[in-house]
Amino acid sequence: MPVWFVRGLRRGVVTTRYPARPDSSAASLPTPPAFRPRELTCELVDRMIAVCPGPALRRSDKTLVFDAGACTACGWCARVAPGAVASSGEFELAATDRSALVKTIPILGEQQ
Amino acid sequence: MTAVEPRAPGGIREQLVRTLADLGRLRAQDGGVITIRIPAGALEQATHAAAGTPGVRLADMFAADGDNTVLRLVWAYEADEPGYVITETEIDGEQYPPLSDIAPAAFVEECEIYEQFGIRPAGGKPLNRLMLPPHAATELPTLGHEPSRPPEEVHAPHTVGGQAFEFPFGPVRQVGVESLYYGLVTSGEEVVDLYLFTWHKHRGVEWRLRGKAVPEAIFLAERAEGLSAVAVGWAFAAAAEAALGVTPPPAAARTRAVALELERLYNHAAATAALCQATGLSVGQAAAEIALERLLRLNASSFGHRYLFGVVEPGGVGRAPDADVLRRELPGAYGELRRVADALLSTNSFVDRLEACGILTAEQARRLGLVGPVGRATGLATDARLAVAAGPYADHPVNVITAVSGDVFGRFQVMLGEAAESVRLITQFLDEGTGADRTLVPSRAGTGLGWAESSRGEVLAWVALDGAGRITRARLRPGSARNWRGFDDACRSQNVFTDIPIIEASFWLTAAGMAR
Repeated sequence: MPVWFVRGLRRGVVTTRYPARPDSSAASLPTPPAFRPRELTCELVDRMIAVCPGPALRRSDKTLVFDAGACTACGWCARVAPGAVASSGEFELAATDRSALVKTIPILGEQQ
Repeated sequence: MTAVEPRAPGGIREQLVRTLADLGRLRAQDGGVITIRIPAGALEQATHAAAGTPGVRLADMFAADGDNTVLRLVWAYEADEPGYVITETEIDGEQYPPLSDIAPAAFVEECEIYEQFGIRPAGGKPLNRLMLPPHAATELPTLGHEPSRPPEEVHAPHTVGGQAFEFPFGPVRQVGVESLYYGLVTSGEEVVDLYLFTWHKHRGVEWRLRGKAVPEAIFLAERAEGLSAVAVGWAFAAAAEAALGVTPPPAAARTRAVALELERLYNHAAATAALCQATGLSVGQAAAEIALERLLRLNASSFGHRYLFGVVEPGGVGRAPDADVLRRELPGAYGELRRVADALLSTNSFVDRLEACGILTAEQARRLGLVGPVGRATGLATDARLAVAAGPYADHPVNVITAVSGDVFGRFQVMLGEAAESVRLITQFLDEGTGADRTLVPSRAGTGLGWAESSRGEVLAWVALDGAGRITRARLRPGSARNWRGFDDACRSQNVFTDIPIIEASFWLTAAGMAR
């Protein structure tokens, strides 16, 4: 019987750790955007929506609605608003409910 | 398995150009590709002449809208110095000669052109629905005039002749396999007929490219077939570069070539895993998927994207590879694949399922214009990497791997040979130097053809730009769009039901590439 199996039974751990070890390339991979509310303006958000190739972004008055489930991490929103958007570095997008992937971000920046 | 050495220059190109120019008028030479304008009245004769020239095949056919619809045929000449010649013909009215009667490879494009532009071959042959879903409506408009009648649905009757019946399979399939519908006509065990519905995944990529500037368009182009992102992106970029008269810097061209060979490696590893799954070898599948995962992680650590998106940009590349990482980790990742392959090749229960399964002959491959490992496994040495006068593949010629059996085993052997060849080429490109340079892409009018050799075979792209450098028509033709037309022939070749997943894995095509 494999040693790891016996050790796992003794410790009560029956699966491997996740992730087993950090992925060294993770930092350079494209990930969905993280928004800085104080840097966002309605005009900037509208420009981001215009370049988004999918339906991941929309605006509801002074709120940005971001659907991480529809985001392909293309980085185009960060290109038009580099000061207001950064790569989140977040890979773990699994959720038990589809609506949990939709986030609302207040638009707190001053209009120019 | 044999390796075909690069071929010496010869005169097929001159013969083809002379024959076509006698029937029309030499119009342009865009980026080394000659375009000949053929009058509508001479189109049938020109097609006969080109299709009848030894070493010449119809590589693509597409239409574009103007005052009248213009039909373009891309002919590839392959017997000596490979390359392409385009004919363009203005079609006045709604009909043109039935070209697939002369070059059977044209039938799929005849269907597509009817759907998108409303013109059809004379003679009234039924044209199948190929691209646009029946419910497409305004969400996915046609590229040109709508057809006067909707395309035919090729549903076979569910009971055929009292003996055979149709077994519907898909479009929703297991795990992550793409949406695709098989109509399998069977007498119980033997495959009598097979047809495909590929339109479930149509995204209107060519329609979406209209009006876009080249730098923003490549984002969509490389997603037309995500598993060939580098190849389709390179073909599209090359078409735009030919149209605009720019050449990428040599180091950037070598970067593209490194990415293209990495793409080939991971796709061949994925096909190996799929073959194991199809033959019920779960240990072999897991081992091949370990090799696949190592190759994808190598892509991520060297180029910053597991599927190599965003590497190719018009005029050059957006990223350079981490050469140290590639040199250090490629031998191990490839060694993993080689270890799996060696084990599989000595496993009778695997090899026996592959041999004499899904056979295509060289004649079928030639007639249908099949490309990539599917064509090369029949003995055809078709490879778009040979069709270059300069660049990385001219400096480091590829040894084209072929087989003669035409079956699944032949395709598997070609893939393994190509994986080894990719590792050799990557090493040479890295030694010569790679970089992330770009040549500035101007905004002006032009037309151009580009090509690249994906793991699935030749990818072609053609673009027309207006004076502001915006796309008026872009044609993308991934290798999958070519090779699906050989799939039903392969499935009918004395095979039984359970062979179909094996044949599909050996073709390793995408529904997206067909339905783009």
